[in-house]
Amino acid sequence: MSQYYKDADDLLRIYGYFLDRVLKDEKIGTKMSKAGIIIKFIYTDPDCEITIDLKNPPKPGYYGTFYLGPCDLQEDVWSKQSADHSHRFWHGIENPIASVTKGLVKQGGKVTAMLKLLPVVKPAFQMFPVALRELGLDHLIVSKG
Amino acid sequence: MYGNTGIIATIDLGARAVGSIEPEEELYARFIGGSGLAAKLFWDRADFAAEPLSPGALLLFMNGPLAGVKLSGASRMCAAARSPLTGAFADSSCGGYFAPALRHAGFDGIVVTGRAERPSVLVVRQGAVALEEAPDLWGMGIEECTAVLRERYGKRCRTLVIGPAGENLVPFACIMHEGHHAFGRCGIGAVMGSKNLKAVVTAVDAAAMSVADPDRVKELIRELTPRIKDHLISQVLHDFGSPGNLEGHMYTGDVPVKNWTSNFNEEMAEALTGSTLSDKYLTRTGTCAYCAVACKRIVKVDEGPFAVPEGPGPEYETVAAFGTLLDSADLAAVCKANRVCNDLGMDTITAGATIAWAMEAFERGNLTAEHTGGTELLWGDMDTVVHRVLPDMAARRGPLGELLSLGSAGAAAALGGGAIDYTVQCKGLEAPMHDPRGGGHGHALAYAMSPRGACHVATAMHFMETGACNYPEIGFEFDLEALTSEKKPETLALAAAIGSIENSACLCQYADRALTITEMVELFNAVAGYGYTPETMMEAGLRVFHLKRCINYRFGFTAADDDLTKRMREPARDGDPAGIEIEFDAMKERFYGVMSMDPQRGIAAAEILVSLGLREESGLLWEKAP
Repeated sequence: MSQYYKDADDLLRIYGYFLDRVLKDEKIGTKMSKAGIIIKFIYTDPDCEITIDLKNPPKPGYYGTFYLGPCDLQEDVWSKQSADHSHRFWHGIENPIASVTKGLVKQGGKVTAMLKLLPVVKPAFQMFPVALRELGLDHLIVSKG
Repeated sequence: MYGNTGIIATIDLGARAVGSIEPEEELYARFIGGSGLAAKLFWDRADFAAEPLSPGALLLFMNGPLAGVKLSGASRMCAAARSPLTGAFADSSCGGYFAPALRHAGFDGIVVTGRAERPSVLVVRQGAVALEEAPDLWGMGIEECTAVLRERYGKRCRTLVIGPAGENLVPFACIMHEGHHAFGRCGIGAVMGSKNLKAVVTAVDAAAMSVADPDRVKELIRELTPRIKDHLISQVLHDFGSPGNLEGHMYTGDVPVKNWTSNFNEEMAEALTGSTLSDKYLTRTGTCAYCAVACKRIVKVDEGPFAVPEGPGPEYETVAAFGTLLDSADLAAVCKANRVCNDLGMDTITAGATIAWAMEAFERGNLTAEHTGGTELLWGDMDTVVHRVLPDMAARRGPLGELLSLGSAGAAAALGGGAIDYTVQCKGLEAPMHDPRGGGHGHALAYAMSPRGACHVATAMHFMETGACNYPEIGFEFDLEALTSEKKPETLALAAAIGSIENSACLCQYADRALTITEMVELFNAVAGYGYTPETMMEAGLRVFHLKRCINYRFGFTAADDDLTKRMREPARDGDPAGIEIEFDAMKERFYGVMSMDPQRGIAAAEILVSLGLREESGLLWEKAP
């Protein structure tokens, strides 16, 4: 039972709002787009998936395209984790290396290309709580410790 | 005996007397092999009054019990001696192909004493070692010497060679294997040079090795190989080599910039990281024996002032030491500096760190044109570094070459005037390119406590603190916060044992990140029949760690030497870790408590040594000592 998300629709609504901000952000988006890959995030509890396309041309004003829910695009790399773990990751309080070491995150494909994105998305850790606040979801904001 | 051959060759170079020792089987299990067994042999056989570069000094090459097993990461070996750079016990690890060859020759190691009358080569053949004079090789760079040895002893021979730096007794001279892999740290190349020993060569055919449980060994190899290959760290290493995560490390503040005065430079991160190296200069990858990871870089720089023909490329440490640390984003210059250091036979970490210190000293006016013989040492001036400073250091030529050939601590001591404050070293060994102020505060404690000086591979702290290890079998499931001291002393107590196990087993610390504690135990038992449990294996690791500190105590090192320089204690000035202070003294005090170590002497309490089976050592240091 997820600590943060009621169901898949709830997760997709929150991530949709957040990713819309991230992929429009000039500083983060520019660097993300250099990765040139398609990433599929597979979430459990609730089960759903999100695909981020950093390979094909995005629509104007964006540096990448995201798809909420199943998507036909063939991913270059995938990452599977619980929705709650992902929620904490976007707050910057999960060590991604430790998460893989402990098997909390599974991944496959061009993993090294995705790894290069880690420092790039770090500024988004500040944006996620802001997005939650803007959605009126202050109670979902997680603090360290 | 299984795994190990049970025979260690000995040679007194001066007397040309060859022999062997056959340690009791039980000694192997107690000290594992590699650096642990080297430490025990050193304790038992070394003349502690001998200076590091005197004929009486001991030089050891030692295999681990897994050498020859066709498993990724099991092909490293250890060289050990008293370091001419630090005066402490030194062990240095090298990958490649020599370890299996030595095992095929029928030896677990070689113990060298004395000094050859003329420059010589030690030749290892099946069940025999012999000294052959080779004065024609003296003065040759490592690439040329390695090529000549191949002509002389056959294409399949394996070589350990010193360069001009080793011959000139530069205290951070390294030993190069096949001109690519290095026993890099602590100056063991100078020890070889002091013995007039230009090279050690194996000329043997592969031979079958006897293991305790052949079926289980096969199973373990089958199970572990894909796991090692698919491990996240291995994937990064395979794709981009050890500089693969330089960019990621830069964002955490782990990469030192401009002699550790900065923890962040985005432009350099992008210019120097492993993917850039692959894109611009990689021609193919290389590997150690039987390794599926293949992290070695073969590079070529086609044109420009730093052009290099196809050959060994730089590791992460070299990229940072000759890149960020010198305030340079020139990756071609790094490739060239790497090749120059390799050919001259100098440790790239100490060489780069010493030059970085000198650049700061020059900027501050502590080091003047008078000291440098007119050479201007300016940040990022790689032309001067590559074409003038490095050759002068290796030759001990001119006032600057002579000064910098002492290493940073020696040079700062010679210069005086507070220049030691901005060196970055512990016990005289320059820190590797991981800044604890950003990479993790536990690194700082690990650097200070490492028996050989500032080192990130003496213990497993670097990997444990960054989250790359999970060892529930020994109670390590800590989620560590990098930039705090919380649980760091307790973690280091485990990391010291694990690091000692890895260095004694001569396992690659990259490849074995995929292994659990239970699997390590199984490997030892299936290959060497050690009969370990997780507890007894960890105890063996602790035994090795404490023994090395006992050796250092006999050389005059105490708890006061477990310290950081002023620069390392300063809070970072920029980047993520800016302004955060490392609580070093509190961590150190806690670590001493956790390890039951004496806060003055810096060695374990007598009852701890006795409980680890170090009764003789305890007796000498606690009962007879004043």
